[in-house]
Amino acid sequence: MSASQVWDAVVVGGGHNGLVCAAYLAKAGRKVLVLERRHVLGGAAVSEELHPGFTFSVCSYVVSLFRPHIIRELDLARHGLELIPLEASFLPLPDGDSLCRWSDPHETRREIARFSPRDAETYPEFGMAMSRIGFFAKDIIDQPAPDPTSLDPRELARLLRLGGRFRELDPDLQHLNLQLLTMSAADFLDLWFESPVLKAPMSVSGIIGTFLGVRSAGTAYVLLHHYMGEIDGAFRSWGFSKGGTGGVSRAVASAARAFGATIRTEAAVERVLLEGGRATGVVLENGDEIRAKVVVSGMEPRRTFLSLVGEENLDPEFVTKLKRYKLRGSSGKVNLAVDRLPEFTCRPGGGAHLRGDIAIAPSVDYLERAYDQAKYGDFSERPYLNVVIPSIVDPSVAPPGQHVVSCFVQYAPYWIKEGPERWPERREAFGDAVVDTLAEYCPGLKESILYRQVLSPWDLEQEFGLTEGNIFHGELSPEQLMFQRPVSGWSRYKTPVNGLWMCASGTHPGGGVMGAPGELAAKRLLAERAV
Amino acid sequence: MSGDRAIVLGGGVNGLVAAIRLARGGRKVVLFEARDVLGGLAAGEEFAPGFRHTGILHDASCFAPELAEELGLASHGLALGPRDDILSPEAAGRGLVLSADAERTAEELAAHSPEDVARYREYRAFLDRIAPIARRLLSSPLPDPARTDLGSLARLAKDGLAVRRLGRDTMFELLRLGPMCVADWLKEWFRSERLGCLLAGPALDFGFAGPWSPATNALLVRHEILSGLAPRGGPAALVRALEASARAAGVEIRTGASVAGILTAAGAVRGVRLASGEEEPASVVLSTLDPKTTLLTLLPTGTLDPALVHRLEAYRSNGMTAKVHLAVAGSVEFASRPGERIRRARTGGSFDAVERQFDSAKYRQISPRPILDVSVPSVGSPELAPEGDSVVSVLVHWVPRDRADGWSDGARDQLGNLVLAALAEHLPELPAAVQEIEVLTPADLETRFGLAGGHLLQGEHGLDQLAARPTPELARHVCPIRGLFLGGDGAWPGGGLTGWPGALAASAVS
Repeated sequence: MSASQVWDAVVVGGGHNGLVCAAYLAKAGRKVLVLERRHVLGGAAVSEELHPGFTFSVCSYVVSLFRPHIIRELDLARHGLELIPLEASFLPLPDGDSLCRWSDPHETRREIARFSPRDAETYPEFGMAMSRIGFFAKDIIDQPAPDPTSLDPRELARLLRLGGRFRELDPDLQHLNLQLLTMSAADFLDLWFESPVLKAPMSVSGIIGTFLGVRSAGTAYVLLHHYMGEIDGAFRSWGFSKGGTGGVSRAVASAARAFGATIRTEAAVERVLLEGGRATGVVLENGDEIRAKVVVSGMEPRRTFLSLVGEENLDPEFVTKLKRYKLRGSSGKVNLAVDRLPEFTCRPGGGAHLRGDIAIAPSVDYLERAYDQAKYGDFSERPYLNVVIPSIVDPSVAPPGQHVVSCFVQYAPYWIKEGPERWPERREAFGDAVVDTLAEYCPGLKESILYRQVLSPWDLEQEFGLTEGNIFHGELSPEQLMFQRPVSGWSRYKTPVNGLWMCASGTHPGGGVMGAPGELAAKRLLAERAV
Repeated sequence: MSGDRAIVLGGGVNGLVAAIRLARGGRKVVLFEARDVLGGLAAGEEFAPGFRHTGILHDASCFAPELAEELGLASHGLALGPRDDILSPEAAGRGLVLSADAERTAEELAAHSPEDVARYREYRAFLDRIAPIARRLLSSPLPDPARTDLGSLARLAKDGLAVRRLGRDTMFELLRLGPMCVADWLKEWFRSERLGCLLAGPALDFGFAGPWSPATNALLVRHEILSGLAPRGGPAALVRALEASARAAGVEIRTGASVAGILTAAGAVRGVRLASGEEEPASVVLSTLDPKTTLLTLLPTGTLDPALVHRLEAYRSNGMTAKVHLAVAGSVEFASRPGERIRRARTGGSFDAVERQFDSAKYRQISPRPILDVSVPSVGSPELAPEGDSVVSVLVHWVPRDRADGWSDGARDQLGNLVLAALAEHLPELPAAVQEIEVLTPADLETRFGLAGGHLLQGEHGLDQLAARPTPELARHVCPIRGLFLGGDGAWPGGGLTGWPGALAASAVS
């Protein structure tokens, strides 16, 4: 490649969205270059061998929302993508009992009936109602965000169509929609269920990755996410990617290359090249200049503008809005390599209950207390954990008989009261709190640990460029969604800087390993003939 | 004879407003109030020999001026004036006074947090810009998205245009601010959290939320838009004027008349049965009691669809507020403002300190250091207390009706002591001067005012419970039982002594 070559598009950041965007652009015949700062692709959807023989999904650990049409359109199965469905959702309890929700609805019903026969009857009804609304919501995540302030007839028509679809829902579902958008997960579940054992682990999906508690208004709608995930078109399935979540990124990268995209790792971008106010390429940290018709950022929006473009080149009003964009990471990750299968006191031995996700969420009050500590700048001494042991179903990630244990931890606030830069001093104490918590249910755990990686939100920022450690590139709160993501009026992937576009989780429809922002950005670039 | 007769249940602000509107519309109206005094939570009462308060609630500044005009309250003795200045006292320091008088607030802020002077002016200007459209929304029946008749569409188009005329930036801001928490939005505006807490207070009062709870910002804006001039003499003065106006309109008022049931026949109301056993016929019953009492207690069981019963049972109305009245010898003086005669004060200088109150309530406990919403009505109204003495009235928020250990005499005394200790931080002379203390726990308030759950807004102001208050099928004041209407704070547009629920319910009758 010659130094004077001009690319159609240069994508900054080889996370899954950057790669999806690049693949779509390359598929349309555009000359695309992806630049990744790290030595490995995937951003937060990454697998790495951190300990000899043990491959970790370092950050994101389950796949569900990844859009099935992207898998089809990019032919990702042919590029090695293989998803293994989770078989169970297991909740060990402090009193030695446990609740296991299975993929088989009859078994789940039997299990829930042990705690409440009424809830066992309601559970499938609830799932059906949520799926029907989830189906409605899918319409929103698979298209660019509607803009209620626009006078463009196409926008108005779209809004009317959405309104019309909403009115077609029967009144009960309309009300349910209103409740989902406004209520707390805990209050919402109170309307349906009576058993605290069921409500706690269900409510928790309303708060993952947010700086909110299960009693915070507005968390109910995140419950929908659980019913919107699809694998092979089947709703509500969550799965592991074979070889770890990095498998998704590898497949997308392979597809992008097959379409003709060029991908470079260890190519850190220092700034966006501006000429006459227009982005004309990027400058790498090593001084190389790369020119392109458009620059597409797969980085978090605030970081994109404040560090790659620079405040001096931006409208102050836009800078104000970026600065108030809420990131405030709330979660961390602890990855363990263990020499034997973890054994839970409440269900000794191995078994299907471990072939899914394991929640440490014994009660709504437990979860809320964990949140209270974070509000005042501490990590939770007794956090919510979402644990998976992917090596049980995917032996490729650990040596025989040994396992990887991935613990998603909440709450771990980026803004600890000592200040985020003091996280390195608190990191191991945080790791200890996590291991201690899990060991209360799994007494032999500590002795089995061969290796431990603790990622605080500060580490997530330093290592993966997740500003303030936010795993979604910005809070998924209503005022930062849809036409307001990342800031009001700039939700269509275009930015106030000519030639600079965005394509990652900080844009509509937001975070999670969905691929939707990357796809929608690419389609928009092509529709607007920007490339 | 019951043909045009309408019965109004509840003699609070909403009940009186509804009764006057109905009577002026040509109906024969009888209003039943269970207590011996009118006013409900706005009734002024003697709580200790020679000492009167001006209502359980402190703030009547949200009462609609349009209704005051319509009902001719000025000619019945209502005088409106600026809201009381409100002090945020500091244990060591002057604290901050927020005043309806822009000059006074600017001076206070200049001394307290100079960069907030200009910001506060912009904040008020923003609210003034959105006030007309927001007021119109809150004083009209709830828009019904399912209706496509010309009138509804015309109204929608008119509102849409009015919003558009605010400009794209204001429109975006309107869409952004509602779901936020008050702490975030106010921190964007102001440097001083003390100022933020003074502003956030009314949004959080009586509710199960803290400053970091999402969607509280919608309540802040709601309050800012509704709050204007306040009746001189407090809520009790408003009630006096409403009563006079009601009598002038020919409303028959019967106090001490507790209603035991609503009588129905063939899907329609036919009257009420009093606790004394008498039956009173009517073709219209407009209840301003809370929705659970009206529909679950007063209606015969089996009248309503079980799905609606389930929704009403799930309606969140767990009380969060207690009230303390103190009869105090001599005058009271805040340590942070020696020599000043302070009528209103609200403690709590940081969002986290306020949030911790909510934390306690979440676990059904009372904060060991409660934050207080204090009124000293005897300042400016010396007739409320014996010569030279004072009345101190305290609302204590985040006191849960469903306290983990329940409510007992011991718990009541304990609450009183906590409040006295918290007051003493700012009014060091006070505890020694207290002659009598009346403590009303949320359980006491529930019993005394017949409020199911003891919630002083007749139910949480969650956005779900505001946009469909109390439930979707009841959100437009009408009920599945013909002739039965809901017009209390548990109906649209919610609580806070605005008068609108009663007025809109009365309009729904005809």
